[in-house]
Amino acid sequence: MALAAYLASAVVYGGSLLERRVLTARFGAGLMLVALGIHTFYYLFRWVADVDIPSVDVYDTISFFAWAMAASYLALQLRTKTRVLGAFVAPVISVLMVIASIDLGGSVAGSAALKGTLVIIHVMLSVAGEALFAVASLAGVMYLIQDRLLRKKRDRTLIHLLPSLHDLDRINYICLFWGFSLLTLGILAGSFWARIVWGSHWQWDSKQVWTLLAWGFYAFLLHQRLAIGWQGRKAARWSLLAFVALLLLFILESFLFRSAHTFM
Amino acid sequence: MKLILVGMNYKTAPVELRERLQNYCSDQDIALPDLMGNPEVKEAICLATCNRIEVIARLGDAVRGEDFLKTFMSRQGNFDITETEKYLYVYRDIDAVLHLFRVAASLDSMVMGEPQILGQLKEAYRMAVDRHATGVLLNRLTHHAFQVAKRVRSETEIAGNAVSVSYAAVELAKKIFGNLKGKSALLIGAGEMSELAARHLIRQGVGNIFIANRTMARAEQMAEEFHGTAVSFDDFPSFLPEADIVIASTGAPGYILNSQMVAAALRKHKQHLLFFIDIAVPRDIDPDVGELDNVYLYNIDHLQDVVDANRALRQGEALRAEELIAEEVAGFEKWFNSLAAVPTIVKLREKTDGIVQGEMERFSAWLGGLQEEDRAHVEWLVSSVVKKILHDPITGLKEESSEGDELPDREAIRRLFKL
Repeated sequence: MALAAYLASAVVYGGSLLERRVLTARFGAGLMLVALGIHTFYYLFRWVADVDIPSVDVYDTISFFAWAMAASYLALQLRTKTRVLGAFVAPVISVLMVIASIDLGGSVAGSAALKGTLVIIHVMLSVAGEALFAVASLAGVMYLIQDRLLRKKRDRTLIHLLPSLHDLDRINYICLFWGFSLLTLGILAGSFWARIVWGSHWQWDSKQVWTLLAWGFYAFLLHQRLAIGWQGRKAARWSLLAFVALLLLFILESFLFRSAHTFM
Repeated sequence: MKLILVGMNYKTAPVELRERLQNYCSDQDIALPDLMGNPEVKEAICLATCNRIEVIARLGDAVRGEDFLKTFMSRQGNFDITETEKYLYVYRDIDAVLHLFRVAASLDSMVMGEPQILGQLKEAYRMAVDRHATGVLLNRLTHHAFQVAKRVRSETEIAGNAVSVSYAAVELAKKIFGNLKGKSALLIGAGEMSELAARHLIRQGVGNIFIANRTMARAEQMAEEFHGTAVSFDDFPSFLPEADIVIASTGAPGYILNSQMVAAALRKHKQHLLFFIDIAVPRDIDPDVGELDNVYLYNIDHLQDVVDANRALRQGEALRAEELIAEEVAGFEKWFNSLAAVPTIVKLREKTDGIVQGEMERFSAWLGGLQEEDRAHVEWLVSSVVKKILHDPITGLKEESSEGDELPDREAIRRLFKL
């Protein structure tokens, strides 16, 4: 049901881009809010019913990733009134939800080591952090598009429709900042758990290494933004690059290596 | 129903004529009593702006009322009544509805989509209401017109984009900075265009304005007006790091700003985005500046292109607005036409009420012998039978008249009941 609402929202947003009307985008935002509501309700229901503690299989993770993206995007929209960004966010969420819904039936039973509150916190924080990075990179994409449009001085209706550079830059920054904070906390939570289960904070498994790399990359990016004053086009490009790298690492890692993290 | 709209606007009448009429009509304490003084004028609203003077009215007798309104206009406008064809337009009934809706939605305005006209219409309506010049028809009509205007505004982009060069610059600035509150602007050259742009910028909340001009006195004069700071012309590059928006409009023969200067300023700049507007011919700013990261440069031709495109866009949106209005007119027409049945219905009721009254009197002696309670029952019984009998014919009359001009049922009822 949430999936259907997300899809409808994506379609309406796409329509608003084609038709170039903010009104349609407003409608899309409404639909996305409905979808998020259903999605949230689903989680609450599962939590209350205690069917199983939100398990940590790959589909649940993706579904939660989508939820976090929708929630953070809608929260940002409230603050900055940049509705059209949804035209980029909604399709991504929809695709994620489609993937997540392919297997809603049986969740892969994780080993005993992967059950516990700390694991759930670890997964939720990391995934939410990465979802924020995704929104940041989408804002970056839009920034680059708007920048190009303003330079080319051609497609004026589209310029009119897209948010201002300043707002996009701010969204990018806010998402980077919070995404980074959440990811850091997520890694810490994971490492504490690892200490309890495996006896050491750090196992040097491939996933951990790659995540640390990505974390370092984002730390660098955030540092450049805060200390050196990177803004605008450069920052947008780098956040896009960082996310693509993160995605590639994630995919490569899951295909090439087996580790304690292989369940996802 | 006899609805009429008589008026003149910027397309049909010269300004000398309009201003005479406007002077007169804008004092509603004189104009409205004058209009309402005529026995044929039942309701009236007088709209007087610098681009149009219109009277919309419900008339008793259509021909005499129309003559009166035309004479009224020609007398106040001081032109010969034989020339009315030249200056005045007259819309009747549903055409008047259409015209009023178009005016309210700013489709008939000089600058299509401008927002003032709706406010002016609301004010004119309020004045008429205060002076008891409106009734059922005009109340409903004007309220419907306000709704139409609102719908057109929200569902089309007729008022969406800038149609002047200086405003286009401001719109672009908003697409870069989001919000202009607290931003600073540097004006290089203090001409008329930059003055206009500065006005727009201040209205959008731009805080600091620096003005550099070859003649310092002019810069100081403008600085005073805009609460800005006058800076010496040779010194303007040192203010580049302070500014977010730079408007250049000097008469210099060559470029006065190049990319090295801007790059240097950018390094010291706290904010990262810079917007340059070059409205000088020949140009003041080297086009290379626009190639820098986070710098946006627009010259006069770019802005003119924006304006032209926006004009075309408004034309396109106007078509959509016309469709919307046609839809709304059709909706209003139903109710408007049903008014045509009202006189017949009133007469029918009067007749039956008269019959009931007459019969009651005829039997008053017998009724007098009844208990109070029984008498009330008899009266109630008789009137409810009459009401039930009339219900279907009256509904039929209303439906018939809301659907079209042919009214055979109405004629039949008038004939059969001898109304």
